[in-house]
Formats: sequence, C-alpha cells, structure tokens
Amino acid sequence: MQIIYTLFLLTSLLSLLLYKKPLLAQKVGFGLASLLSLYAAIFFFSNLHETLTWKLPGNFISAPLFRLDSLGMLFSFLISLIAFAVSLYSFDYVKFYEKKANLAVFASLFNAFILTMLLVIASDNVFSFMLLWELMTLISALLILINDGKGASKNVMIYLGIAQIGAFCLMVALLIMASFAGSFEFSGFDELGISFGMSLTLFVLLLIGFGSKAGMFPFHVWLPLAYCQSPSNASALMSGVMIKVALFAFIKFALFLPHTVEFGYILLFFGALSCVFGVLYAVVSNDYKASIAYSSCENVGIIFLGLGGAFYGLGAGLPSIALLGFIAALFHIVNHAVFKSLLFMLSGNIYTATLTRDMDALGGLHTKMPITSIIFFVAALSICALPPLNGFASEWITYKTMLLGGLEEGVMSRFFFVLAIIALGVGGALAVMAFSKVYGAIFLGLPRDDKSIQNAKEVSTLMLLPLCLLASFCVGLGVFMGDVIDVLSKIVLSFIPATHFNQDEFVSIPTVVIVMLLCSMVPFVLFYLFKSNNTPSRITEPWACGFIYNKNMQIGSNSFTGDIRRALSFIFRYESEMKMDGYFSKVVYTKKIHDFFWDKLYEPIIRLVMIIADKIGIFQNGRTNFYAGYILVYLCLVIIFAYYYL
Amino acid sequence: MSFLYLLLQLISAILVAPLFDGIARKLRAKYQSRIGPSIFQTYYDLFKLLKRGRTKSHSASFIYQIAPYLLFVTTAAMFCALPVTYGSDSIFTKFSDIFVLIYLAALYRFIFIIAGFDTANPFAGVGSSREATVGFYAEAVAIICLIVVMLGSGSSNLPYIASILREGNYGYFVPSYAIASTAFLWVMYVETGRKPYDLAEAEQELQEGVLGEYYGKDLAIIDVALMLKQFSMLGFFLILFEPWSFENPLLALALFLSEIGVLYVLAVFIDNFGPRFTMGKGMRTSMLFPLGIACIALMLYIIGV
Repeated sequence: MQIIYTLFLLTSLLSLLLYKKPLLAQKVGFGLASLLSLYAAIFFFSNLHETLTWKLPGNFISAPLFRLDSLGMLFSFLISLIAFAVSLYSFDYVKFYEKKANLAVFASLFNAFILTMLLVIASDNVFSFMLLWELMTLISALLILINDGKGASKNVMIYLGIAQIGAFCLMVALLIMASFAGSFEFSGFDELGISFGMSLTLFVLLLIGFGSKAGMFPFHVWLPLAYCQSPSNASALMSGVMIKVALFAFIKFALFLPHTVEFGYILLFFGALSCVFGVLYAVVSNDYKASIAYSSCENVGIIFLGLGGAFYGLGAGLPSIALLGFIAALFHIVNHAVFKSLLFMLSGNIYTATLTRDMDALGGLHTKMPITSIIFFVAALSICALPPLNGFASEWITYKTMLLGGLEEGVMSRFFFVLAIIALGVGGALAVMAFSKVYGAIFLGLPRDDKSIQNAKEVSTLMLLPLCLLASFCVGLGVFMGDVIDVLSKIVLSFIPATHFNQDEFVSIPTVVIVMLLCSMVPFVLFYLFKSNNTPSRITEPWACGFIYNKNMQIGSNSFTGDIRRALSFIFRYESEMKMDGYFSKVVYTKKIHDFFWDKLYEPIIRLVMIIADKIGIFQNGRTNFYAGYILVYLCLVIIFAYYYL
Repeated sequence: MSFLYLLLQLISAILVAPLFDGIARKLRAKYQSRIGPSIFQTYYDLFKLLKRGRTKSHSASFIYQIAPYLLFVTTAAMFCALPVTYGSDSIFTKFSDIFVLIYLAALYRFIFIIAGFDTANPFAGVGSSREATVGFYAEAVAIICLIVVMLGSGSSNLPYIASILREGNYGYFVPSYAIASTAFLWVMYVETGRKPYDLAEAEQELQEGVLGEYYGKDLAIIDVALMLKQFSMLGFFLILFEPWSFENPLLALALFLSEIGVLYVLAVFIDNFGPRFTMGKGMRTSMLFPLGIACIALMLYIIGV
C-alpha cells in the first residue's frame, strides 16, 4: 500500500524536475497520475473491508503511524476514483493553461494534492494530521492560483482565511481531545472521559473546523470565489473530493466523543440552512461555475442532514436510525463526488470553448458540443435528485432517515427532523430551477452573444472519456442502489452498534425504470392505432407576436429568475441598473447580488480587524528610538514580572 | 396480473381524461353565458392534432424532440404510482412512494422548463420561468402537508398509508391530518394550472407559453401528458385524503376516476370566480394562506395532537 503514496510523491517530484520541458512534464505528470489513481482505486476497493497500518520508514524526527480502516478505505477509493477521471481529463485540458502557467508545476501540484488528501485520510496522529491538513489547504490554494488573474489573490486570501479559522478550531479541539485521551495517537481517543459541556464544545469546534472546509453554511462564502477562480480540473478535485476529506475527518473525530442527541440537532439545523441557502444562491447566480459551486453548499447540507440523523440515532440509542443516517450520508458523499466533479469538468469544457462564464452571453451550445450537452443533461438530472439517477437514491434514504427520526416522541426531535425534511424538499424544488436554468441557458436556444460560441467545438475524445465514465456512474449508482447500500451498510456496521434494516421497505429504482420504459411505449402505440401524421417537422422561426424574431427576445438566465428574486427580495439584496445612452443605442442592464451573510457577518468582522490593525500600526512608525523604547519597556515588564512571580 | 391492471389504470385514465376536460369546458362556457363546445371537443382536438404536421423552431435541438415523450413518460409514471388497482402485496408497492411522486413531478418540471428554453420563443421562456416559480411555491406547501401525513401514518409508502387509513387507525379524527388536507387540496388546485394561478387553455404568456412552438402529434401527446399530470395531482390528494374504495380493482378504478373527474369539473367553479393573479403580488399573498394552514397542521403534529 505504501507504494501508492510513494509513487504519487515520486510523480510529483518528477514533474517538478521537468520544469524546463512543461509539455513533457504534463504528459508524464497527468499520465502517471491517472494510471496510479486507477491502480489505487482498484487496490482500495478490493481491500474495502480490511484495516491496514503502516509507519514511515527511516529516521525521521517522529515515526507517525498511518492507519486505514474500512471507512478510510471507502474515502481513499473515492479520492482515487475521482482523481483517475480528473487526471485523465486534465491530460488534454491543461493545454488550455499552457501560456498562463508552467504545466510542470501544475502537474506536480496536482499529484501532491491527491497525495496529501490520501495521507490526511490515512494519518493516525494529531501532528501528522494537522500538518497534512494544512499542506492540503496550501496546495489547493496554489492550484487556485494557477489561473492567475484579476482578483485572484483576494479570492485565495478569503479561502485561506476561512480555512485558517477552521484549522485553528480544529487544532484546539484535537489538542483538548489528546490531553483528555493522554495520547496523540487517534487509536487512544476511544475512551474520552469528558463531561457533556466539554463534549458539546469539542463538537462545535470540530463542526466549525471541518464545516468551514466542507463549505457548510455560514462558511459557504469561499466556495464560489475559490471554485470560479481555479482551473476546472482543480475545482473538480476540490469540490468532488477535498470537501469529502473534511467530512470523513468530521465523522471520524465526532465518533470519538460521547454521543448525545444535541449533536444531531446541531447538524440537522446547519444542514437544513445549508440546504436552502446554498441552492438559493445557485438559483440567482448568473455565472454557471458559481451556480455549481453554490450547489456544493446544498449537497453538503444534505450530507449533514444524513449525519445529523445518524448522530441523533447514536445519542438516543437507536442504532437503526444511526445506520440509515450513515448510509444516507455516505451514499450522498459518493454521489456528490461523482456528479459534482463531472459538472465542474463539464464547466471546464464550456469555458475552454466559449471563454465566458456569463450565462447571459451563452446559448445554443448544443449544436456545437452535442456530447458535452448530453452528459451535462445527465449530470444536471442527477444533481437535482431526479429518478432514476443516483441523486434520487441517496436523497430518498436521507428522507427515510428524517422520517424515522420525526416519528420519535419529543417536541425537539420532531421539530428538527421536520425542519430537515422541509429544507430538503424546498432545496430539491430550487435545485430543479437552478440546473434547468443552467442547462437551458448554456446549451439550448440561440446564442445570446454570437461571439461566444463561434469558435466552440467539441473537446477531444480523451477528455470526453472520463466524463462518459462518471455519467455512467450517475446512472449505475442509482439503478444498482440496493447493492451500493449493502456495501455501505457493511462499512457502517464496523463502527456503530450492531443493527439491521429491512431493504424491502426501500424504494426500488429498477421498478421505476421498468414502469417508465413501459409508459414510454404507450404514445407510440397510440400513434399507430390512431394513424398519426408522421411527416417530418416543418422548420419555422420562433413565434414573436408578429414581429420579426430577434434572438435577444429569448429569455436569459437573469430574467428567468426575476420572479423568484422579487419574491425573496428580503434575502437577496440586489441592485439592478439600467443604462441607456441614447434612444437607438443598446440598453445595458447590470445586476449585482449581495450575499446577505457576507454583508452582515463577514464584512463587519473584516472591518473590525482592519481598524485594529490600523491602531496597532501606530506603534510601527519606523523610528529606531521608538523601537529601542519598546525594548526597554518590555525589559522592565519582564523584570517586574520575574521579581513578583518567580 | 397486477401488471395488466396497472396498464389498464393508465390507459383508462388517458381515455377518460379528455371527457372530463370537455365537461369542464362546457360548464365554464355555460357559466360565462356561452353555448360552448360539445363535451367531446377535447377528443376532436386531439384527433385533429394527430393528423396535422409538426413544426419545429430553427433553434430547437434534440430536447425539443424528445420532450413530449419525456413529459408523457413522467406523468404516466406519476399516475402509475397511485395505488388504485394494486395494493401493498403487489410488485409495484416499492415504486408507489410519495417521494417518487414528488420527484417525478420535479422531473416533469425540469423537462418542461428546458423545453421552453429550447424553442428560443420569448413566451416559452417566460412560461418556463413561471412554471419554476409556481413549482417552488407549491412544493414548499405540499411538502409540509405531506410531512404531516407521512409522519402521522409512519411511512412514505402510498399503499401502506392507504391501508392504514382504510383500517381507521389514522384519519380525520387526528386534527393535524384534517387541517393538512385543506392546504393540500389548495396546492393540488394550483398544480392543476387554473385561474387564479394559471389559465391552461389560451394565454400564451402564462405557463402554457412553453408549448407555443409545438404542433401536430407532439402537441397532442403533451396535452395528454398535461391532463395526466392534473389527474395524478388530484389522484394524489384522493389517495392520501380519501382512500376509501372497493376491494375489486376494476370497481376501485372506476370510482377513483369518477372522483377525480368530479374534482376536476368542480374546479371550474373556483376557476370562474375572480381575476388572475400577477406573479409578483397576488400569487405570493394567496400562497401564504395554504402555507399558514400547512404550518398550523405541522405545529399540531409536532406538539403531538
């Protein structure tokens, strides 16, 4: 097993050494990465139910232990699988960045990123975990910076800032846990004799630490900034698997704490908020990559709902709910990794072809890129959780968990579970709106701006291959839902009390498919019976009330969401401006949506920090005699302190 | 055998739906002091459409061509998910689930919206936008009502809920259930696409604007799909809030269809009462009422009444 990690490290170093020959480095780096991750995926999947440990060889300062149990195996498998698809895709895709960045560095960072994610999953020690965690954040920040441009450094600083708040909370939580456990090895964390208040505090710290990385509400502000800034293959890896690493670590550490039902309530509450607010911003966004990024927040919310059910079940001593909740969360983690990385890669296809991220300039891309369009259609259906695809399967189990929880006696549990179901339902309705808009505005209709698609052409077969693979996973994971649940329940049962569930009560997606296929035959039978007119369609101009049709008459992504923006104007403060120079000149509409939580929550904090920094700045006036004075004052203080206390 | 009954359920709905539509149109005409068309007019319309050629906007892609069939498949599957001719012992029990129905309705909405985008017709786009917004309003209320029923009966499986209701273990003696039924009926009325929320017949700028470019057999199949959707929405209400029926599948089907028909025709009386709502103002305020009612039902469930 060590060979996988070593080879990733070597590939990373090798591509860095080929600094002078970026094209060769790109072939070596991404080619080897795809081969390696394919091997890793097969390896981790075949050892899914085993526990493997290994130590760093050689004479390091410490010899940290690495350990993979079956949950870790599942996540390692997921990382390798998505990394395989993304690196295969990157092989051709990164040529787009040839002039912007050195591809050797890109390939090296890419490999190092996969390596750190795999190592974070495996690490079994506080120090190695924190070190690798920070390394993962740093490398992802560098990957974002590959696509250098206007505002890039600001976006990266916001990403790093939120990551650092998280890492701080994480460090505090882990050190407290380690001091209670008396050991820095995670295997010693099992029996923490801590009070209820302490365990709740630790839980909240862990939630902030990992939730900020996972893009949970209200830490979602970095998602659109970072994902829109980074190259699409990097955002596919970050959104597809990096946030899953945070979720894995959250599950792992939260399980060490003594369980109470309050854990479940907190998770359900924040999961519900993420679910609704994440997708609301996805609906109103005019940038397709931002829409996809915001929907990560929604999906993390759904995963947290599943986990909330699970932790409620553990706290209340109801292992059957816990089992279903964990299955729901893990299933949705797998599904989200598949369709979110797929969507980000597809957005890369669209961007390389059109060089714009504004949906109001796109349209009619289906004629130029039919295969990308069809794959996007499948991915959009599955992210909206529409039957019979995979999103539906995992959301159905989440619903089932929420229903079981809502059946419990007790006002609190009923309230939170009901809130969760409402959030999930409303989120589902809004996701349909968001992704039908994204798909319709980009691929269908006529181009709103002819310049955008004139040079567009279908991407190479090598780039389409991994996309087709992931699209087939979208279908497969849905239709073979029963088998996936079996595999996942075996993993979940390795860390929760023994219980079972009856799969007969579950919805059967194959039946849905059969009924739909059956229904699809009916129209043709009716056509045959009533002898319909089968002549080919007459091609016409779209009807425009008798006026000459103009492609600017069709609806754009901005006007599509007009009604809902007005209805929810108490959340979306948006400024729209109309600029008209003369009667015959073109009217320019601009729209700016304010992120409510950025304005109310982050902006004041940033301003406060700026003011404090300004005040501190008074001391740094650059005069040598003042600095000598500071040293003198400090020395006096130390002497007084030493005199009284030592 | 249950397979054949399912097919019968679908086919008979397709066959009788235009009749009820015709009756509703006739009644509406009488209401407005017109003579109105014959009650078989909807059949004539469909036959005529089948014989006509199709049209296609020059911007249209494959979505435009497959959308009618996808819409039909979705609504037909929705109707099949209603356990009328089969009970909890059939193989279709695992398919007949509240969430399957809701998400099939979402699939319908998804395809409806992108079909509107595909034509590049200005009215189609506005229609798509309205469909999405109405969907958002309606889904929020519907899910709250459904939560009350699902949690009250303990399952999301439709045959199971129906059997519990028939046995009398759960029903109108529970206040939350009784209150939820009102709000749910309201939402189902909105979903059937009538005034004051929509006018399914004529107006191009409303939801039906999406269909502006369709003609010929495409439009015929969409019309059938729309009627099936309205039938499944009303049927959804009946299964959850009026499940008492015969044991014999054929009699149950006949009763079910006539109940839907009665509801469908009765909706005309609300339909003719007032003006339409604008999307921004009237729609929102009027949807706050069912939302409030649904929330009251939910509160009652939470505190355990």
